[in-house]
Amino acid sequence: MTQPSVASRSSGGPRSAVAAHPVTSAVIAILIIATIFFAVYVPLYASATPKVGDFPFFYFYLIAYIPAVGIVLGIVLLLQNRLRPVEGADGGAAPGPGEVTK
Amino acid sequence: MSNVNAVTFTIVVVLFLIVTLTGFAAARWRRAEDMMHLNEWGLGGRGFGTFVAWFLIGGDLYTAYTFIAVPAAVFGAGAVTGFFAVSYTIIVFPIALIFLPRLWSIARAHNYVTPADFVRGRYGSRGLALAIAFTGVLALMPYIALQLVGIQAVLTVMGVGTSSTSTFVKDLPLFIAFLVLAIFTFVSGLRAPALIAFIKDTLIYLMVIVAVLYIPTRIGGWGHIFAAGEAHLKAISPVTHKPTGVFIPTTGNSQLAFSTLALGSALALMVYPHAVTGVLSTRRRDVVKRNMALLPIYSVMLGFIALLGYMAVADKTTAANVKKAGNAQLAVPYLFQHLFPSWFTGIAFAAIVIGALVPAAIMAIAAANLFTRNIFREFFKSDATPRLQTQVSQWVSLLVKVGALLFALELPKTFSINLQLLGGIWILQTFPAIVGGLFTRWFHRHALLAGWLAGMVFGTIAAYKVATPTTSHWAGSVDTIFGHTVYIGLSAIILNLAVSVILTLVFKAARVPAGTDETLPQEYKADPVGAPAAAPAGVGVGSTGPAGDLPR
Repeated sequence: MTQPSVASRSSGGPRSAVAAHPVTSAVIAILIIATIFFAVYVPLYASATPKVGDFPFFYFYLIAYIPAVGIVLGIVLLLQNRLRPVEGADGGAAPGPGEVTK
Repeated sequence: MSNVNAVTFTIVVVLFLIVTLTGFAAARWRRAEDMMHLNEWGLGGRGFGTFVAWFLIGGDLYTAYTFIAVPAAVFGAGAVTGFFAVSYTIIVFPIALIFLPRLWSIARAHNYVTPADFVRGRYGSRGLALAIAFTGVLALMPYIALQLVGIQAVLTVMGVGTSSTSTFVKDLPLFIAFLVLAIFTFVSGLRAPALIAFIKDTLIYLMVIVAVLYIPTRIGGWGHIFAAGEAHLKAISPVTHKPTGVFIPTTGNSQLAFSTLALGSALALMVYPHAVTGVLSTRRRDVVKRNMALLPIYSVMLGFIALLGYMAVADKTTAANVKKAGNAQLAVPYLFQHLFPSWFTGIAFAAIVIGALVPAAIMAIAAANLFTRNIFREFFKSDATPRLQTQVSQWVSLLVKVGALLFALELPKTFSINLQLLGGIWILQTFPAIVGGLFTRWFHRHALLAGWLAGMVFGTIAAYKVATPTTSHWAGSVDTIFGHTVYIGLSAIILNLAVSVILTLVFKAARVPAGTDETLPQEYKADPVGAPAAAPAGVGVGSTGPAGDLPR
């Protein structure tokens, strides 16, 4: 509680960010829900055909789906960066190359 | 020791020695001025960037037991109880992306070390925090034990110690591995598994890539592997008079079991204390987020590891060996031993053994932190200095490992596996308090406690009652409710939530005090740069540590 410091800069918190970018926020929500749905809704892919190479579709789908989720979540992160208040020192600086750790 | 392959054995021993040295050297890695602080020993200085965190969290979540048990389950039962793990490790990341950044921020703002610290601060409830800590320790013990069981599976196939009749000699290699693990965790804390994770994952990726490219060429290609798997699972078991397993879940109930197992396990994974420990060790909120997009790379690997189960079915020698041993956990070690040249078998076995050490160390640290912060400090010595807290954690981590060793040696292996299934069900019951609390203060603390209790009791009893023709109790973690086959953890958490909601309404109507909330709304989005909160204020669970001992 002694450190509200940085946070207070994004004054208003999440709600204002969502209100300021309703479309982006909605896209983020849809993408996240979609990544979960297309894995959880098994009837979509629970079949042996069409075979991909020697892989039954069920097995091919699940394995191919994993990198797809990684990519979608990457897009979500890019979109989330757009939600940040530009003047926020913490938010603005973060995606910059300086902070990328290796 | 007559049947031990010298080349395999030597390679495993050499790699193990390298890891041991790394574990001790880790104490000097990213050294802080004062190491005797839980932020250092227990969270590696809270300074790991994206790259280190990727290895650490990956090494933390994808345990050696996964490499043994998931293919074993695919080998034995196919898609529903085995390959669901792939679906599970996909959806865990979008789910975690929703709440983990908030957990990271609030933990950084208040210097929380454990999930129970957060619950304590959010609800002002020692009882609820104790319940969370208790559940965490309870679920972690058998999980650590299973890592040792994973090591045992490899040692058994290597033939180490098996020819001896003395239990002491038989278990000596496990004792040694355990002792090394215990000491380097004691000395280096979270830095040890973080550094070893690099070696672990390099070896694991190497093992998987080679296995996936090479083994199919030896046993007739992927077409044959899948055909053998399908034939094996469709065969009618003489005991149950039903098919052995499910190759592709096409019936409604098998699909429901598949998706509830995946969803329930995914919800549970990131509230496991060791997962939280890995996440809180990162430097920035963005590091957590980026890792949610990068960690699925591990799941690709897991997908192929799961298919090793079908390879073990397709390879007649391996299948016969496993059948003779009567232990499906040996499927992968036998497969490697039969098909790889002995030097590469050594690398693969070392990968599994080292793969057990990393998560076991993090789990022991997480359990020790829970004890120190939420039991020792909360109920016995509220003025414990950071130094004393660290010392307590160090010793408790040792104690936890002794307990896990006893688990692994004394209890039948099936019992450890059951306990781990139960662990998932139990941990899931902490989800409403932790994740609910990250988004809303609506729930009443007493209601959450009652919901937790209801979920724990229901889940345990339901799991106890699961029976098959071959096993009378604890036969699995899916149960039939109202004609639907559902993961017990998920039905238990629904009960948990229902109780929490109803009692919250009751307690609010009765104006039962809700407890003080020491957190502020903006702190859940905060991304303090550099130093973790100095938190000199003795508010709630916040550390009383001097401001001088921060990592930069």
